Order: sequence, then C-alpha cells, then structure tokens
Amino acid sequence: MAEQAKFDSPVWNRPLPEDAELAAQVREVREKHLLQDARPPREVAEKVLGPMARLGRVFWLAFVVLGGLTATWLVTWAYQASQGMGVTGLNRTIMWAPYIINFVYFIGIGHAGTFISAALRVLKFDWRAPISRAAESLTVFALLVALTMPLIHMGRVWKFYWMIPFPNQRQLWPDPRSPIFWDMTAIFTYLSCSVLFMYLGMLPDLAIAREKASGWRKRLYTALALGWRGTEREWKNLDTTLNIFSYGIIPVMFSVHTVVAWDFAMTLQPGWNSSIFGPYFVIGALYSGVGAVIIIMAILRKALHLEYFLRQEHFNAMGKFLLVLSFTWVYFYFNDYLIPWYHKEPILTVLFRLFSSGWAAPFWYTMLFANIVVPWATLWSRKVRSSIPALVGVAVLVQVGMYIERYLIVAVALGYPELPFNWSVYVPRLPEILITVGVFGFVALGVTVLSRLVPIIPIWEVVEGQLLHGTRRIGRAIFPAKTEAD
Amino acid sequence: MTERISRRDFLRLGAAGSATGVLAGCTSPRRWVVLEPFVRPPEQQVSGIATWYATTCRQCPAGCGVIVRLMNGRAVKLEGNPEHPLNRGKLCARGQAGLQMLYNPDRLSGPLVQSTRGSREFSAIDWNEGINRLFQTLQKAGPAVAVLGGATMSDHLFDLFSRLLAAVKAPAPVMYDLYTELGGYRMLAQAMGQVYGRAAVPAYRLGEADVVFSFGAEFLGTWTSAVRYGVEYGAFRSQPYGKRGLLVHFEPRQSSTAVTADDYFAIAPGSEGLVAGALLRLIADGNLGLPGRAESARGLAPSLDVEQAARECGIPVDALQRWARRFAEAEHAVAIPGGALAGSSNGMHAARAIEALNVVSGSAPAGVNISPLDLGLARKSLNTFADVQSLIARMRAGEVQVLLVHSANPAFELPEAAGFLEALAKVPLVVSFGAMVDETAVWSDLILPDRSYLESFGYEVVSPDFGSPVVSSQQPVVTPVFDAQATGDILLTAARGIPAAAAAMPWDDEVDYLSQIVAGLPEAAYPASTPEEKRARFRQHGGWWQAPAAAAPTPRPQPFTVTAQRAAFDGNESDYPYFLHVYPSVLLSDGRGASLPLLQGVPDPMTTIAWQSWVELHPATAERLEIRDGDLLRVTSPHGEIVAAAYVTPGIRPDTVAIPAGQGHQDLGRFACDRGSNVVQLLGAALTDEGGGLRWNGVRVALARTGKRIATASLESKVGVTEGLGYE
Amino acid sequence: MSELETRLLDRGQSAAAAPKTELPSHKWTMLIDLDKCTGCNACVVACHVENNVPIRSEREVIRGHGQHWIRIERYWEGEGDTQRATFLPMLCQQCSNAPCEPVCPVYASVHSERENLNLQVYNRCVGTRFCGNNCPYRARSFNWFAPQFEGPITEMLNPDVTVRSGGVMEKCTFCVQRIRRSEEDALVEGRPLREGDVTPACAQTCPTSAIVFGDRSYPESQVARRLGGQREFQVLEHLGTAPNVYYLKAGGSDGGAG
Repeated sequence: MAEQAKFDSPVWNRPLPEDAELAAQVREVREKHLLQDARPPREVAEKVLGPMARLGRVFWLAFVVLGGLTATWLVTWAYQASQGMGVTGLNRTIMWAPYIINFVYFIGIGHAGTFISAALRVLKFDWRAPISRAAESLTVFALLVALTMPLIHMGRVWKFYWMIPFPNQRQLWPDPRSPIFWDMTAIFTYLSCSVLFMYLGMLPDLAIAREKASGWRKRLYTALALGWRGTEREWKNLDTTLNIFSYGIIPVMFSVHTVVAWDFAMTLQPGWNSSIFGPYFVIGALYSGVGAVIIIMAILRKALHLEYFLRQEHFNAMGKFLLVLSFTWVYFYFNDYLIPWYHKEPILTVLFRLFSSGWAAPFWYTMLFANIVVPWATLWSRKVRSSIPALVGVAVLVQVGMYIERYLIVAVALGYPELPFNWSVYVPRLPEILITVGVFGFVALGVTVLSRLVPIIPIWEVVEGQLLHGTRRIGRAIFPAKTEAD
Repeated sequence: MTERISRRDFLRLGAAGSATGVLAGCTSPRRWVVLEPFVRPPEQQVSGIATWYATTCRQCPAGCGVIVRLMNGRAVKLEGNPEHPLNRGKLCARGQAGLQMLYNPDRLSGPLVQSTRGSREFSAIDWNEGINRLFQTLQKAGPAVAVLGGATMSDHLFDLFSRLLAAVKAPAPVMYDLYTELGGYRMLAQAMGQVYGRAAVPAYRLGEADVVFSFGAEFLGTWTSAVRYGVEYGAFRSQPYGKRGLLVHFEPRQSSTAVTADDYFAIAPGSEGLVAGALLRLIADGNLGLPGRAESARGLAPSLDVEQAARECGIPVDALQRWARRFAEAEHAVAIPGGALAGSSNGMHAARAIEALNVVSGSAPAGVNISPLDLGLARKSLNTFADVQSLIARMRAGEVQVLLVHSANPAFELPEAAGFLEALAKVPLVVSFGAMVDETAVWSDLILPDRSYLESFGYEVVSPDFGSPVVSSQQPVVTPVFDAQATGDILLTAARGIPAAAAAMPWDDEVDYLSQIVAGLPEAAYPASTPEEKRARFRQHGGWWQAPAAAAPTPRPQPFTVTAQRAAFDGNESDYPYFLHVYPSVLLSDGRGASLPLLQGVPDPMTTIAWQSWVELHPATAERLEIRDGDLLRVTSPHGEIVAAAYVTPGIRPDTVAIPAGQGHQDLGRFACDRGSNVVQLLGAALTDEGGGLRWNGVRVALARTGKRIATASLESKVGVTEGLGYE
Repeated sequence: MSELETRLLDRGQSAAAAPKTELPSHKWTMLIDLDKCTGCNACVVACHVENNVPIRSEREVIRGHGQHWIRIERYWEGEGDTQRATFLPMLCQQCSNAPCEPVCPVYASVHSERENLNLQVYNRCVGTRFCGNNCPYRARSFNWFAPQFEGPITEMLNPDVTVRSGGVMEKCTFCVQRIRRSEEDALVEGRPLREGDVTPACAQTCPTSAIVFGDRSYPESQVARRLGGQREFQVLEHLGTAPNVYYLKAGGSDGGAG
C-alpha cells in the first residue's frame, strides 16, 4: 500500500512496512531474493568491480597452476604433432578416443551458457540474471577448447585449413557430405554468436567499469565499451539485438550438438549408428553444462566474494534444473538402449554385456550412479539444492558421469566393430592424459582471468531486475512480485 | 670364345656401377668390372620401365623360379616365374621377402677377421688378404678340411666344394641344416629308398587326388615346397566337373594345413605310424576298398589291435574306420608323410607305414623313379645328424684344420649336446661364408661374406622332383650392393694354388664353370641353336627343363615291412608333463628368416603374433597352471631350459605344448637379435632308431611361471577371438 | 637401332596417330576362395613389397599400430576340443557404396565410377581418421608414425607407388598402379585390356590361386564365371556397403565352375 504508492522513490530505499510481522516477511523476501534486495546501483557495481582488482595469493596460485596446465597442454600437443599420433594409445581399431571425447564433452558444457543466457532469457526466468555471464564465459572457453580438439587429433594438423572452404588454384573444396564439415560450420557459427552475444550483453557493464576504473583498466574498458553512453536509443537497440540473438542462438545451440552427434550417428559403427543421438546429445550437453555452471558459480562466488549476487535461490533453481535434465537424459538414454536390447542385435548384445558384466562394467555403473542414482536421490531435497557444497558435489559427480558416458560411447563402442578379430580396448597414454588435464586447466584459467578482466556478473541486468521486482501484499502475506516490462 | 660380349651378357654378369676391384688373379673378360657412369645406363634400363630377370629363390631348399622386377637398376619386386615347372608363377611369403636378403642393413661389406672367437670384435681386411688366408691354410691342411653346408646352398657350389674336398682327399661336404631336419628330408628320402629303391625326397601330386591323408605334413606352410604344394592344393580343391578333393590331417598341433583340412585329428605326438598302421589293418581286415587294395594291405599291415591303437593315438575308432574305407575306395588316394614324424624315434617306421598306404592305393610319389635322367651335373645329397656327429667327432679329434661353413648356422641350429662349439675349439681355422654375422660367424675366425642369391650365379637342381627334372638357373639381377664375393669364385681362386684342386676345378670363375655345365645339358623345352643361345636361354627362362613328357613310369615298390613302433620321449611324465612339439615357423623357417623385417613383422597365421616367439598351450593347461597370454614361462626339458611367452590356443593337445623354431637369435642382425627363445636349446642330441636323424620330436617338457609377463605383439583382438565372440 | 628403341618410337607414333579415347570402364572384382586359402601370408608379404607398406616394429605392433593392407584373420569355430580355426583374408572391399567416402572432410577418399574403385588420395589426407572408423571391415590403416625404411631397404621401394608420410591414411588399392600401367599399355597399343592383364600382387603370388581378380563386367572373365554360385557370400552384406570382394565359402564344391 504505502510502499506501492511511493513508486517514485528509489527501489533500494523502499521502507519496510510498519507492521512488524509484515516487515519480517519483507525482510525475509529481500534476504532470499537478489532481485528483491535492491541496493544503489553504485553499490551493486562496486560489489562486482571491487573484487576484480584485488588479486590475492589464491588467485596467483591458481593462475600459476592453471597456467602450468595450459602450458603442459600446448607443449604436449607440439610433441605429439612432431612425433606423430602414434604416441597416443589409439590403434587400428579405435582411431578416435581421447580428443573426440574431449571435443564432445566441451561442446556439451558450452551449451549451458547459451541456454542460461538465451533460452532462459526468452522464457523470462529472471533468476538467471547473475549467472548468465559466468555461464557464457564458460561457453566461450569450452568452445575454444572444443575447436582445438579436432586439430589435436588430426594426423597432419598443419593442413587443417584444407577443411575450410576457400577458393584456390586447384579448385579443391572440403566435402560438404562430411559431418566434420557440418561440425565446423556449426561450431564456428555457435562460437561467433556466443562471443558476440556475450560481448554485446557486456557493453553496459563495460561502460560502468570504464567510469569506475583507472589506469590500464580504464583504457581497456574504454576501448571495449565502444563508446556506450546509455542513451535510450542505445538501450533500445541493445534490447532488440539481444532479443534477436536470444531467439536466434537457440536453434544454433540445438543444431551444434545435434551435428556433433551426427559425427557418430551417421556412421556404421555399432553403438554409434542410432537415430536418437541428436536429441540425446543435446540433452546430455545441457545436463553436463548445467552441472559445470554450478561448479563455476560456486567457485566464482567464493573467489570474488559474490555472496550478495549468488544466493541459495540461484543454486536451488539450478539444482532443480539439473534434476529435470537428469530425468530427460535418462529418458533418451533408455530409448537409445532399449530398442537394440529388445531385438538382440548381436554386436550390441556384446556391448551390453561389456557394460553390465564385462571390463567396462565399473565405468558403466559409476556413470549410472553419478548421473541417475545420486541426482535422483538428492536433488529433490531443497536442503541439498540449497547447500552449495552438496550441490557442487552432485554437479561434480554429474561431470564425471557424463565424461564416462562420452568415453563409453566413443572409445569403448569403437573398439567393437562387427568383425571380432579387430576388437580392441583403448588404453590412454601420457600424452592424451596430459592434454586432457591441460585443457581443463585452460578452461579454468580462461574463466578465472576473464572474471578479473570484465565484470562477471551482469550489473545492468541485476539493476534492471531489481528495478522491476518488488513485493506485494495480498491479505496478511507478502509476495515477491514482478513488473512486466517489454 | 668370342671377344664380343653382348649387352645381355654384360648386364647379366652384374658388371658396372661402383663394384670394387677385380678379384685377385681373375683375368676372365666376363668378370671384368668396368666403371660406367650412371648417365649411360645399359640400353634395357629405361627409367620408368621395368626390366625382368629370371633367377632362383634360395629361401628354402626347393628352388622355385622367380622373376625379379627392376626399376632403375633396383630390384623392387619378386614374382614367381610363370614358366618354371615347379612353382608355375607363384611364390610364398618367404620368397616374396627375398629382396630383404639383398637389401639388408646388416649385411657385411668385405671380409672380417675375429681375433678371439666369441668376442664379436671384428676387424676388416681386404679381399686379397682374406682369400689368401684361406688359401694358405687350405694348402697346409691337406685332407684335414671339412665343409658344413645347408640345403639352400646351390648345387653348383656344392659341386665346387665337393671337387675341392675330393681333390685334397678330404671327406665330402656334410650338408645338414635345421630346416631340412624339421622337414624330415633325409629321413623321408631314406624311407623312399627302402620302399622304392631310390632315396630321394618324395613329391606327392595332389592336384587330381580324391582323398589325401596328411600325417603331420605342414605342406601348405613349410615342408619341401610350400609353393608347389600350394599350387597342387589349389587344383586339388577345384578339380574338373566340380570334384573337390578331401584332405584329412593328423597332427598334434593345428597347423595351417590342419586348418584347411576337411577333417583333423589331434593325434598323440609320435603316433603317425600307429595311425597309418591302424588304417592298413582296417583296410586289410575289413576287406575295404577297390579290388586288390585289401590284399595289398594284408601284405603290409602290421599286427596291432586297432581299438588300442586308436585310443593311443587319440582318434575315435569309428572315424578311423570311416576314413580307412574312404581311402581304400578312392580311386586316387594319397598319403603324405610329414616332417614331424621324422623327428620321432620311430620316424622311419612311420614313414614306411604311411608310404605303405600309398602302395595300397597305388599312388606313388614322383621324384623316386629308379632311373632318373642323368643330367651330367652334380646335385647335393643331404646328410643325417649322425653324419654331423661324425664330423664333430673328427673336429674333436683334431682331424679338421679348416672348417668351412656355408648356408648353415650350426651354432644356432644344433643342440648343445651335439658338442659343436666345444669341438670347434680344436679347429684352428673356421671360415664362415655368411652374408651377415650369425651365431656361427661369431665363433669363426674369418668371414668371407657370400653374395645374396639375387646377386649370384649358379644352378640348382629342383627338389622335390614333381615328375620331370628341373635345373633352375641363378643369375645376378643387380650389381652387387655390398662388397661381397661369390664363394664359388673364391674357391676357384684358392684352388688355383693347390695342384690337385686346380686340376679338378680348371675354370677361371663361376661363370666359366656354369657355361660348361649348361653346355652339357640335354635339349630343353625351349629351342636354342647355339651354345651361346643355350646359355642365354638358360638364364632368360630361369633354368632347364624338358617339355612335359608322357608320365614317368610309376615306381614299383620293393618288398618292405611295416612295423608299429611307439615313439620314445626323453623325460618322464611326472617331471615333464607335456610333449614338446617343435615346428618350423611359416615365416621364419628354422631361423634364417629372422633377419628380414618382412618376415618378422608379418603375423604368424595361427597366432597372429609378429616379432616374438611363444609356447602354445591348451586352455585346460592354462587354467590348471593359471597362465594367461603373455605370461613368461620357464620351459624345461631334460636337456635345457628356455623362457617363452605363453599363448593359449585350442589348437594344441592338452598334453602337448608347441614352440616354433626361428627366434632366439643372439646375432644375425638387428631385426633378429634378442627376440624370443631358441627352441633347439630344449633338444638333446639323441638319434632316431633308424636313419641317423636327430630325435627332435622326442622330448617332454615342464612349464613353470616366472611371474613376469610381456605384452603380446599380436594382430588379433585379445578380447575378441579367443574369449569367444562375447556370447556366453 | 635396338629393339627397345624401335618399340619406343612405335609407341610414340601410335599414340600420336591414334585418337585420344576415354579409358573404358571396368568393374574390378576380387574373388577369394576360402576353400583354398591356407593362411600362408604370401599375399601379405607381396602386398607389403609391391605397395611400400612399412613393416612396423614390435613396439608398434603391441600398441595396435600394425600396418597391413591385407591381413589373414584367423577365427575359431566350434566349441571345446573340436574347435577349428578358419582363415579370412581381409582387405579393402572396394565398396560400391563405401561408408568411408562421404565422411572424409577433404575428399581424400573418393570413388572412381569408371573403375568402380575406392581411391585414397594420400597427399590430400589430413588424418582425421573418420574413414577408418567408418569402415566396418577396419580395412584402412593409418600411419601413426612416419614409416621408417632402414638403410638399403629404401632401394626396394616400388617407384610406382607413393611412399606415404606419417599422419596419412592408406589402404588396399587393388594395385591401382598395375591397373593404370596395363590400361596405358593397352591404350597405346590400341587394344582393349585382356583377361589376365591386370593382376594385383596378392593374386599373382597366391600359391593356391585362392585370390582371383578380374573385371566382372566382362562375362568371360574368371571372376564373372565363378560368381553366382552357392558358395558365394560377402562379408557384412547386411550393412549395404556393396563390396566388390566376393568370398566363396570353404567346404563345398562350385558344381563345375572349376
């Protein structure tokens, strides 16, 4: 009532109701929800920008370690490129394993960023506001890594540019029938869209940072902010642009992992040749991606003291999302395996036996435990979802489970072609282990450094959200309410 | 002799290029080395167009004709000579790998001397000095010269060696190697002598047979002529009017011949003769077969109890009966005695028993005709292990001053109990003519490396003889790649200084000698009007043979008896629970193929293992001893022990283990060294009952885990094939 | 003038005089009679020599980097003590509907419609190994390391065949270099290819003649005459790759096809 009438006073200054009980309810709502807990924009900005420059010991330690891992990756890659692919554990039957697993995995976790930024934006899930940029940054670095993976696994990587269509004297073009060509097209599109989307969404924040920074940072942000002044026209354009991107990037996102799935589904390899792979991979990607975002959120919250922004409500929402994805993933997994199990296709029966009671059983059961048993047993509980350590634990398990899932599909199934003489088991050797660990380090390094260079929480979205959110009294109860503004 | 040398002769003499200096004392214009720059290549060599030369393969004793494809003066491919009557244009794996005998990085260039035997410290000397050393020792040695050669020594060289030895009144060369021992060549020849009156390696013509019983003859992989038997087998399986011959194979181990057989029996080791005897008995007693056969069998069958024999061999009686009937009723039935039986104590008995089956069915082998065409040239005859023992005894007694070793590697191939190395200590000069440093060369004083067969002249009388004699021709196809010299030329040069030898070997060089030989051959299947043309055609076609004549007269068997004899094995069953089945490797032969990557790196047909050796054992044995593939086992016999990696396979009897010969070299080049184990170390030096052969198939062994493992270099899936197809 | 010089001049003249014609089409087919295969590996060694296929070291073979364009697959059939081995020579099946072709991103694995062969273009291959995965026969081999030919072994390399570098995929080509030479010879001499003009190394050396090669579009050829019998089968027919290698089952007769 009284507070609803005073809509010309700043949102962060709305007084509490006089009634003690109502006031307590309002306080509770504000505590729980970021977008209800309005603060002056300067303060919000300071909460984000402040920690960026304070590089403590932990940061430098992380930088060194992750930088070391990244260097390991690059050095090992150089070694492998000079010696030949024979230094890996690949063999004449299993010609794809470690790098393709990484390829699928990293594209997979990249999907969560886009989904959270774009799809949730379209669906108007406002709790995504503080998460979106961190998720997008994960996407960008994951995609970068994923892009290098096909290069790392090439026999003659120095000729990689032959896969890119460019006019040449010999009139040689790449083959558009090849799923690798579709991969390239899809991933390049996805990467460029994601980067643009993230960058454009960052413009207002870069402008804010420009105002508050000094020294080299000021120069950096001035350059990056592209002269953003915050005029109404600029905001309107930004809104339109982000809408277009949001709507547009969703089909791109779906197509990318579908196309990656078709690297497998279009082949004759038993275990790969399944028409459900398209949607199955997309859901798997989202599943692992959301888990990865949860982990990133938890780490950034700790490292940059973002407790104000990343609250239980966000983890709770992500936890629910994770559970829903787990159900969906199980649905597709079940579909993929039910049919061949039913009609007892011989070579797939061999694979199933391997999974259920053969040498691959430990992996398979770990995957089922991590992807199904643990999430289903825990994520229904609000307590678990709200406890950041617990949720992160589940998310880590999901990463493990999904990595194993890719390993089982790529490396294990590939070892079982129809002619048993050629069956084989893939055993990773040091180069691919170092490269795999190294790229994880690179992704972490990328997000870490980026979070210190650009505002990792979208300040303007938070402020905008806080402007639009308030409380409403119905009867004796206070409810959070949102103003719809298009 | 005209002075003009035709271009063809020039090329064929292998002249030009960067060859070294003229052989000391050799003045024949045919052997002059002229330095020709490569910008003036011989006319026939057009860059990009191949030239083909015919010669003879020497990877096994058979003597298949090969044609060599040359591009820019380099030999790039071997093919079977389509005209050659033995192999008819086909060639086996070992033959195909022959180029690496020519182009092998471990070949020697120039003679070497070793001051201390076994030190492996060689110093290079030049050819003049090397030949002189040999010559001087020969001069002083008189009759105290000995030659130990192998069956792949070409007959022309055997002739030269023999003449030299005869001239100095030394005993004839001893021709013995592990390959022919494992193939039972000598033993079988002796058995043929007993049955048909002429001791020669038999040749079984399968091409039109209805039923073939093969007793341990791995004729499709190794044995006397893998290629020719392959050709025969191909015809055997697709005869006119859809007829398909049936093959039954009896062997303790499932060899590749066993794999292709229509029926296979894993008989007890050493029981081949017993099986044959039982079959004879069944034919005799059951009055089986075409008219006359049962009667013939009655005359030959040994007295034995068929049921007991079947039990001992491990064949169900009804199967024996079925096949006995089939054999007796087949119009054209052939029984082939194989190599494995030759190494058993009862080998000759078994050979006779099996040949008796052929007598019953009226199908005698070729090559054992009583009066062969006299070709007027020498051919080698193989010696028995007993003969080798005599040689060793002479060496030990100090009666040998010079030992010449060619085409054989006795230090690797002879069992330790033979005492060869100890006896060597009493021989002042040991000369090895090997192209690479092998185990014997390591115990020699002087190495005079011979040229590889693709760089050599010569002739080889093809054996086995499949119905018409063939003299296969050898000629160099390339300029010698390494600084090696033809042993024949060395002998002729050295002989010049020994009066008796000079008289017996009056030729200037090998080519001169060969010209005379070829001139003496009867008319060939191809026309040749002048002696020069005859020589040229001899080389061009790849040898001498006659047009296929009417079938040679069937050899008539002489009276002989068949006795059923059990095989004896060293070692008692409790201490040494397993029979040891030794066999020559399809790729490595008896070990001579180990220096060729093309043979080492290709998977063995039964185990698909490359580069390694193994001991094959039955899954029941593996389970009992808790052994997995790759476990290193100590294999112990009463005579020695080796370490070998286990290979679990259903293709061996549960009471037997099989180890291929061929690996276990300590020398013979980088590709052969330090791989696997030499199964000969498990053998003793006992002789067979008859025939003086080495009893290599008469040893029992024990297995023990060492606790160590190696990774198996196999092509097959380790998870797919032997663990079943994943179906339970 | 020597005989060879005369022949060379004649070739040049007839090539100039004869109109340039297109090379005729063929359906190169290989027939492998499993009743005759003895597993002797002569074909394997011959192929290595003819096509410059490197022999890989023990270490490489242990790690599954053994490289053969044709291999003898040895299976076990039956159970227990009656198990018998059986040999299956496996090589590139030269599928008419090759799964290795559409997946190559750079057109290194292409089809020759005229010859009905699957061609591998070594210098275009970038080594993604997609084709190797998609071959259900696993007939393709990859150069995991650059091949090493020690010392004088380089002298025996066949100049008609490229020596591939590391990182490149390769496979049986039905000895396309021999096909090409015979076609050129026939073209220059103004005659069609005759039966027996083209023989790959494996078929030429096979002692039992288990491997037979020819153009099945020519009805009098060996392969055409022997196809269509009861024993005929193709490996993994159900996948629809339409291979051009036919096998004849062991153990029966061809009923007169010889």
